[in-house]
Amino acid sequence: MKREIRIALTGNPNVGKTTLFNALTGSRQHVGNWPGVTVEKKTGKASRNGFEFEVVDLPGTYSLTAYTADEVVARDFILEERPDIVVQVVDATNLERNLYLTTQLAELGVPVVIALNMADMAEAQGNPIDYRKLSAFLEIPVVRTVGTRGEGLKDLLDAAIREAETSLHHEHTIGYGNETETMIASLADALSADGDLAGRYPLRWLAVKLLEGDENVLAKVRGGPASTRVEEILSRIDPDEYEALMADKRYEAIAAVLPQVRKANLKEMRPSDMVDRVVTDRYLGIPIFLALMWGAFELTFTVATPFMTAIDAAFAWLAGFVAGSIEPAWLASLIGDGIIGGVGSVLIFLPNIFILFLILAILEDSGYLARAAFIMDRPLYALGLPGKSFVPMLIGFGCNVPAIMATRSIEGEKDRLLTILVNPFMSCSARLPVYILFAGVFFPDQAGSVVFFLYVLGIVVAIASAKLFRSTILPGEASPFVMEMPPYRIPTAMTALLHMWSRGSMYIRKAGTIILAGVLVVWLLASFPFGVEYGSAESFAGMIGHALEPLVAPLGFDWKVAVALIFGFIAKEIVVGSLGTLYGTGEETLPTALLADPGLSAATALALMVFVLLYTPCVAALGVIRKETGSWKWTGFSVAYGLVVAWLLAFVVGRVAGLFMGGV
Amino acid sequence: MNDTAKLVYGAVLGVLYIAAGLLQMVRAVVGPIPGLEAFYLTGNLFGGFVLLVVGAVFLAGVRNLAAGAGEGAIFVSVGVLLSVAFGLVELLALCALGIDAYLVGEWVEWSVADAMNPLLYLAVLGAAGYLAWGRTFLRGLSAA
Repeated sequence: MKREIRIALTGNPNVGKTTLFNALTGSRQHVGNWPGVTVEKKTGKASRNGFEFEVVDLPGTYSLTAYTADEVVARDFILEERPDIVVQVVDATNLERNLYLTTQLAELGVPVVIALNMADMAEAQGNPIDYRKLSAFLEIPVVRTVGTRGEGLKDLLDAAIREAETSLHHEHTIGYGNETETMIASLADALSADGDLAGRYPLRWLAVKLLEGDENVLAKVRGGPASTRVEEILSRIDPDEYEALMADKRYEAIAAVLPQVRKANLKEMRPSDMVDRVVTDRYLGIPIFLALMWGAFELTFTVATPFMTAIDAAFAWLAGFVAGSIEPAWLASLIGDGIIGGVGSVLIFLPNIFILFLILAILEDSGYLARAAFIMDRPLYALGLPGKSFVPMLIGFGCNVPAIMATRSIEGEKDRLLTILVNPFMSCSARLPVYILFAGVFFPDQAGSVVFFLYVLGIVVAIASAKLFRSTILPGEASPFVMEMPPYRIPTAMTALLHMWSRGSMYIRKAGTIILAGVLVVWLLASFPFGVEYGSAESFAGMIGHALEPLVAPLGFDWKVAVALIFGFIAKEIVVGSLGTLYGTGEETLPTALLADPGLSAATALALMVFVLLYTPCVAALGVIRKETGSWKWTGFSVAYGLVVAWLLAFVVGRVAGLFMGGV
Repeated sequence: MNDTAKLVYGAVLGVLYIAAGLLQMVRAVVGPIPGLEAFYLTGNLFGGFVLLVVGAVFLAGVRNLAAGAGEGAIFVSVGVLLSVAFGLVELLALCALGIDAYLVGEWVEWSVADAMNPLLYLAVLGAAGYLAWGRTFLRGLSAA
């Protein structure tokens, strides 16, 4: 009979846990070259030598004193679920900081196996680790792994089997000095009165955590038989002082081991550090980031152009074929105006979406995006937003849903809420079709720059809103930002293409589901009541649009735009799909129809792009805001605030642009 | 290539990029500048900004090298990488626009000059620096 072993993969952020998880289980979870990619635990299966493994990938954590929501997920799993084996993935190029978590796992007494990952990079740096000696010092099995190449996986599973089969597990202790040890002993003695706690956790570990001021452990003690005495002991000490003192002692222990397991010590600056001098330079860092962003959008627009032309021609031919060969007329209208006009006008932007995701994947895999978060820390912190917020904000360039979930890595509820509320201003890929359509039609020579401007505007509005919230509804100080710089890597074509496909294919799925459904509803509204002219003011769509027109008329938008914006609430791509359906372009392309519309000008187009950038998050994003904030009040606030900001800024941008370009 | 060569190279490219960036920004604001048609300045304000950024990286390197700080060479190397990267962006854009002109039947009227701009032709000088030492620098970076 096969035996099952449950493995928890833990470790610091960005040490390659998800890469190792994918290699062990054959999964294709998203891997990023920056910390905080995994915010929820993920499970996969593996087997070896008659054993079945359930592998659980936990969010990254620096210690077992949980500060952030994702660290709580990791710690609770290890403490409460009690996996058979905890595999700590350790970055061999950064042993000192990684072993800090090892000291805490060792204190907990759980069966641990260390996967010494990125061992190849440590060796390439001339700093190989003697993993056998490290294992002997720690009394923990250490296996050399290279997750990206799948090296050491069998050895890792074999080591896990050996550890699961043995019962010789015990906690390892670090000497914290006489005074601290006396306090630990007093607390452990007091805690022994609580039989339930003592049966579930090592008393020494509980005492150490209480001295460190761990709120989570204190909550477990409160109300129990040991509560009064424990709180009396704790009232006499300063937990911050003890936390710092114990951290020092752990690092002293690590420092004693390191020189004996490292075969060399790097003293000179690494090329990676050298480049960081330039790209994180106080004055040049942000301009370089902006310049690279501009390059990304220039490529997104221009390189996609011939592909768009080809797709456009194909849909125009298809629409012509449908119009000329399908009877009855309503069916030809449904397929031509509704499906081809609507879905086709969204699918035409597929090349742009794929190219943008490819560029983001290359920037992310290279390690540059982590630097972007670092350089944005200073301005963000000055404005009251934690620098750590920029990582979820960058993820928001792809999709706001995972971006909002990624805020779990942010310490402090106010900081987290602040980041959730401003995240929808980061321009997700669903808004890109609107920009490319209108920028391409009304700003053909500077389309890439217009798209770049909109993305920068999104960042500026997000930061300005954070400042506003910080000084009004969410007062307080931002938490300091500590982020480890991942190493630079030349992205592999396969990884970048896989990232591009996994994100871009979502767009195709949406086109065949929610966007198709949306444009069909718009087509029905534009076709009925029975007998009215398609898309006329007398149709249901016309009635809805005209009812809403007074709200958007000051922005220069007509009823068709009003209807498209309403349906864009479901998914932003539907704005383009709805326009394609409402304009009923048939053989004529949507860009041509828009250009021929006397109600639209370059200034109106700019105002519309700004409105789409900033107005209410889509339904999926609102769902995740509700889930993450646990509050309908904040979800409603997000919608209302977005609408007000979008209206005001679209009005200002439209009027100012109108002064230079005419229109509105 | 020694530090003196990098200093001279960085100074030349830095001045060229800054000059092109300033002129392109002027061109974007006030319109075509008579007599400067041969420089293919576009009306792209952000393109001008990018030229200024690349120029600033080169000149920061030159300033450090002139002061005897070895890390100035790193700024010049990163400047080379940026120059080549943006040159590639513009080269890809040029190819895409050419293909598009062919697809829509405007190939006969299309000319390389339509897509020419300073980021593209200055990258030729950047590529020379890349061939001289940029490749080694990039290899060292990826092995780090």
